[in-house]
Amino acid sequence: MADEATRRAVSQIPLLKTHAGPRDRALWPQRLKEEYQALIRFVEQNKAADNDWFRLESNADGTRWTGTCWFIHELLRYEFRLEFDLPVTYPDTAPEVAVPELDGKTAKMYRGGKICLTEHFAPLWARNAPRFGLAHLMALGLGPWLAVEIPDLISKGLVVHKERPREAAAE
Amino acid sequence: MAADWEEIRRLAADFQRAQFADTVQRLSERNCIEIIAKLVQDKKLDVVHTLDGKEYITPSQISREIRDELYVHGGRINIVDLQQILNVDWVHVENRASDIAKSDKGVQLVLGQLIDDTYLNRLAEEVNDKLQEAGMISIAELCKSYDLPGDFLTEELSKRLGTLIQGEMDQYSRGVIFTPAFVARHKARIRGLFSAITRPTHVSSMIGTFGFQEHLLYSILEELVNTGRLKGSVVGGRQDKAVYIPDIYSKTQNAWVDSFLQQNGYLEFDALARLGIPDPSGYIKKRYKSNKLLFLRAACVGQGLVDQVEASVEEAVNSSTWTDLQPILPSCLSEEDTGMLINQAMRNTNVQSSARVLGGTVVVSEKFISNCLSLFDEAMQQKAQKEVKNNPVFLITEEDLKQASILTESSALSKKEKREAERRKKATEGSGSVKSGGGGNAREIRIRKTKKKGRKDEDSDEESGPSQTNRSKQTEAPFMAQEEIVAVLEERVSDCPEEILSELAEHLVRPLTKAYQEVLRTVFMSSTSSPSGANKKKSMKDLQEEITNLYNNIRLFEKGTKFFSDETQVHIAKHVLKTLCTDVTNILVNFLAADLMMSVENPSTITNEVRVKILGKLSEETRGPLMKLHNCLNGKTIEDFLTNIETSAEVCGFLLKKGDKKKERQALFQHRQALTEQLKEAEDPALVLHLTSVLLFQATTHCMLHAPGRCVPQIIGTLTGRVPVEQQQLLTAYQSLVVKQLVSQGKKQQEEEKEEEESEEQEEEARSVRSQLMTLTPQVKDLVLSQRKTSVNED
Repeated sequence: MADEATRRAVSQIPLLKTHAGPRDRALWPQRLKEEYQALIRFVEQNKAADNDWFRLESNADGTRWTGTCWFIHELLRYEFRLEFDLPVTYPDTAPEVAVPELDGKTAKMYRGGKICLTEHFAPLWARNAPRFGLAHLMALGLGPWLAVEIPDLISKGLVVHKERPREAAAE
Repeated sequence: MAADWEEIRRLAADFQRAQFADTVQRLSERNCIEIIAKLVQDKKLDVVHTLDGKEYITPSQISREIRDELYVHGGRINIVDLQQILNVDWVHVENRASDIAKSDKGVQLVLGQLIDDTYLNRLAEEVNDKLQEAGMISIAELCKSYDLPGDFLTEELSKRLGTLIQGEMDQYSRGVIFTPAFVARHKARIRGLFSAITRPTHVSSMIGTFGFQEHLLYSILEELVNTGRLKGSVVGGRQDKAVYIPDIYSKTQNAWVDSFLQQNGYLEFDALARLGIPDPSGYIKKRYKSNKLLFLRAACVGQGLVDQVEASVEEAVNSSTWTDLQPILPSCLSEEDTGMLINQAMRNTNVQSSARVLGGTVVVSEKFISNCLSLFDEAMQQKAQKEVKNNPVFLITEEDLKQASILTESSALSKKEKREAERRKKATEGSGSVKSGGGGNAREIRIRKTKKKGRKDEDSDEESGPSQTNRSKQTEAPFMAQEEIVAVLEERVSDCPEEILSELAEHLVRPLTKAYQEVLRTVFMSSTSSPSGANKKKSMKDLQEEITNLYNNIRLFEKGTKFFSDETQVHIAKHVLKTLCTDVTNILVNFLAADLMMSVENPSTITNEVRVKILGKLSEETRGPLMKLHNCLNGKTIEDFLTNIETSAEVCGFLLKKGDKKKERQALFQHRQALTEQLKEAEDPALVLHLTSVLLFQATTHCMLHAPGRCVPQIIGTLTGRVPVEQQQLLTAYQSLVVKQLVSQGKKQQEEEKEEEESEEQEEEARSVRSQLMTLTPQVKDLVLSQRKTSVNED
């Protein structure tokens, strides 16, 4: 499970109320609004805690999300693209986040760069559906995965820092 | 619916905006620490973090805080406490503290504590308060109570003496601070106390008794002594054994010593030691440098006394008397010292050789001693004469003998004989035994070469080396026992103490003995060499007659014994041997001894021992028969003796004539005459009985009888039948009475030892026996006396 800080952060994220998937014409906008609000809140929180670590945007109807995420290890910023689609059964089923750059570099990943979250995250999500949203997905899914995997990959030399200019700009 | 999507678009936009809004630039604590550490490392920033790591602090702030804390804590604070208060690493605190101490004159770092002047001033005030209260205060005490080092305190306090502290520090030890009042009080006490002291006193004991301050005491004492306020001196410096000696004491001491020396002429070290002078002889030497004192073991003596002693010694020597120095000398001098003194005096007067010390204190001049010796001359002569006459055998030494023989030989012998004698003498020397008799009787002595192993020179005339070995040990004839000498001296030398006399006697014994030996020798020589040949011949004749007489008598007596039974014969023979025969032998021996210069005035005094000794010195020819003769004296029969005496006499050069009838009768007559004379005189019943019986025996048998008393019953027995019956009865009665009396006397003697009572009866008896004897005695006497008449008539 996530650490104490994450837990606290998660507890700050407002839970979602609307049980509606993208197919649900009537209620989906309602749900999407809630999603956005939660995300905004989470981002604000992160920024306030000087813990901003991803960018995210969606298509018009909010079914496909793309963005970047980064991890700072030993004062170096490692940035990765990320993408995922909302499954039809959303919100009962959690979306599968993919980090294509890391495809084939780690065992904890499915083909296509989908990170492997089932172990802890899936039951957690299942227990909390439909109140968990995308913000939760980021906080409880991708965040911990990155924290575990990236230092490991860096130490293995599988991930190499190449974008110094960008890293400098980010600082 | 559209509105919803509109709102969603707006929200998406919001989301983007939110995402791209500036992140609040917040550094985490961790980063901050890292940054600061980096800065500090690069020396771009000078800060110090607190121990809990929560705060940074600049050094100047530490300094300020230290000052504040110092002020808060009243001017004194421990750096350890400071570090806890400031919560900064100890190193920084210490650095800042030492910086402060360096930069600020009013602050000092002592024993890890910051102390400022205000604190010290306050301390000084406190000390002053205490000082005023107690009068004195010791730095050590302050050290303890303020927990500050003594040197620091001393320094700081001495800075403030006179200003903040009203008092003064002891100049010597600097460990104590006094108030002037205290010092003055102390001084007054010391002055008083030491003024009162009249005898040497240990300063330490005064400190103990009166509770003085040691430092103060010494300095004040010194001051007082130096200024002359106290008349005295301190000996022994400032230690425990320091002693204060008041002048008055040393003055009296000196006065006493002076007067003692003047009065008595000596000084005893012990007395000085008793006075408290630790090194008497050193003291005396120092004090009487000019005087010549004689140092003895335990005293020293003044010149006057030495002079006196010398004078008396000299006088004694000059007047050839003695002097007892005891009265002159001080009685306290030990024997050793006395001896030293007297020796010194004798050395000084140069009389060591002419005087000697007796009994420790008496000086006796040698002249006096020789005078004393001369006192004995006369006595010595007399004694020597007597001794020579009495018992020459014991006096004679071999050497004497040789000398004597030379003398006699040289005077009596012809030249040839003399040479022969000399030769013989040498032989004797060689042989180591004295074989030669007197040289005068050379004819009896055949010269024989004695063969001695290993002696080549035994017979050579030229060689004259008397070997040392055969010198018999010279036995010294003692002259007088020491006591006797003392007695004589006491008589002659008046007013001499007894022990001196005895010592003198001890001194005299040896020289006297020696002198006596000399005298004895000369006397002996003169006495022996005197008898001339004529004298000798004459005496020879006399002797021959005497011996012949005795010889005949013995023969007669022997005849007499034949009348008795064997047993009685033996008894009588023994008696005869013991009396008459011994006499004869003695005469013979004495005659021979005379040749050896050993003769005795009265031959009868010669005892068995003496005889043997004389015989031992005789030559072999004479010794053999005489030895036999001597031996048969202890035998049982007279016959043996008779044969022996014949040969002996022959050897000695006497001719024994056997008596003829006429002579025999004459002898008988003489014998009877003698016996009757004796009988007339006799009172003792036993003797009367004895004589009577013997006379009766002679009268009846015409044989002489010489019998012991215990043979009387046998004699009476033989008389039976030869005398009238009534006479016989009278004799037996008388005899029984005599026996009774003898028995009772013997008993009495025994019983006297036991008990005197009980014997009354016996006494009675004895008395009756005595009375009976009294009455019978004349009758018994008559028996013989009357018979004699008849017999005479018959004759």
